[in-house]
Amino acid sequence: MIEIVETGPFNTVQDLGRPGYRDIGVSASGAMDPLAVRIGNILVGNEEGAAAIEVQTFPFSLRFDRRTVFAVTGADGDPLLDALELLSWCAYTAEAGQVLALKHPPTLARAYVSIGGGLDVPSVMGSRSTSLRGSFGGNAGRPLEKGDRIAVGNSTDLAPVPANGLAVIEPAVALREVFPDLVDGALPVRALPGGEHALFPDDGDAFWSQTWKISSRSDRTGYRLSGEPIKPTASIEMRSHGIMPGVIQVPPGGEPIVQMSDANTAGGYPKIAGVIECDLWRLGQARIGSRLRFVRSTHAEARAVEQAVARYVKDVRTTSEMVKRALRAMA
Amino acid sequence: MSGIDFSDPATIAFLTDALTAAGVSGLEISRPGGQLRIVIATGNEARIDVSATSQPAPAAQPLMTVKAPMAGHFCPGSPLRSPAAGRLPRTVSAADILGFLRVGPVLLPLCAGRAGILTKQLAEPDALVGFGDPLFEIEPQS
Repeated sequence: MIEIVETGPFNTVQDLGRPGYRDIGVSASGAMDPLAVRIGNILVGNEEGAAAIEVQTFPFSLRFDRRTVFAVTGADGDPLLDALELLSWCAYTAEAGQVLALKHPPTLARAYVSIGGGLDVPSVMGSRSTSLRGSFGGNAGRPLEKGDRIAVGNSTDLAPVPANGLAVIEPAVALREVFPDLVDGALPVRALPGGEHALFPDDGDAFWSQTWKISSRSDRTGYRLSGEPIKPTASIEMRSHGIMPGVIQVPPGGEPIVQMSDANTAGGYPKIAGVIECDLWRLGQARIGSRLRFVRSTHAEARAVEQAVARYVKDVRTTSEMVKRALRAMA
Repeated sequence: MSGIDFSDPATIAFLTDALTAAGVSGLEISRPGGQLRIVIATGNEARIDVSATSQPAPAAQPLMTVKAPMAGHFCPGSPLRSPAAGRLPRTVSAADILGFLRVGPVLLPLCAGRAGILTKQLAEPDALVGFGDPLFEIEPQS
């Protein structure tokens, strides 16, 4: 068991989501930074898709009621275990009674706490993610509250985490070649032209060339951007159609909405573009008030980024297992 | 599938001799039928935590060394400290991270292991170090 000692609103249990049910109106849900969840789970010896805690409001703390392996990934800033400062992106073993505390991260938005054995909440339609809109999944279909106690699954990992921890070079650093840094303080987000891109004048120039700000009306469902409104050349009436995370819609007001993990399943606004899937985690780590720019990408580039991420994840899994086995053999 | 019988004492003896000769500290072979693990006892077991092996020390007080827990690239420095804190000598506490051993994308934190004065860094940044190689020297403070 773990017990939530302190939490802000909207912190939830999430895994890699619940795809496959959008046709019956069920959002995919899942972590806003799925790469952080995958790496965190690998570090603690879980399957990549085990359920973790997504912390997006701070401070947050939890107590372990037995010896437990855990890792904090995603956001920057250093977690505390009792009074001891720890590293992010590093698996540790906590003793019974110890408290893990997360402070507000310096620059990023969401931290993930992975637990050896995973969070043992019921799987609903193939996922342990909380669906806030549907009020099901995760921890009783709602955000975590102080005093909540969540069961932890049995870890199947036989090799122990080294006494001083087991860390990784985080994705933003290891994959620097494929995830370009901020440009003039704006996060570059790669996107492909969407179904109604042609409705916008000058090949969508007003959309691609300006810097957008993530407005305060942004959450796990979608980011509403603020900037100079963009207008289609003709206003059209469209039937609602299926949409998904990453889709960028332009409502009549002209300020785009990017659908995120709890994306609506259908919508009728024109779609100017779609964020490539591999860049969604960076958007998930972008804070309200921060700025971004869309960069026109290609399917080939999106595929190349996806392959680089897959290589990194595989390398982390293979190497971390090898290191743990080697240290056990030499202990 | 090779025909070597890893449960044969002669094979194990041969492998042990070979490991000892090569200065390799351990070996693990996993096969569907079982697992063989050989650990060479050196009498000078290097561990990630500081071992109190008193090397034939010239000085009276025993120096502690932080050794490489396995082979990897040596990355001195800690992300939890400002770069200015990297000067030597300096006082360290047991839980301080002095650096990392990097194996591909994996980082193994190297902890001081005990309080004292960090006097020396014994390997170059990014050098490939082997199991048991000394990386830092700490003068214990009593």
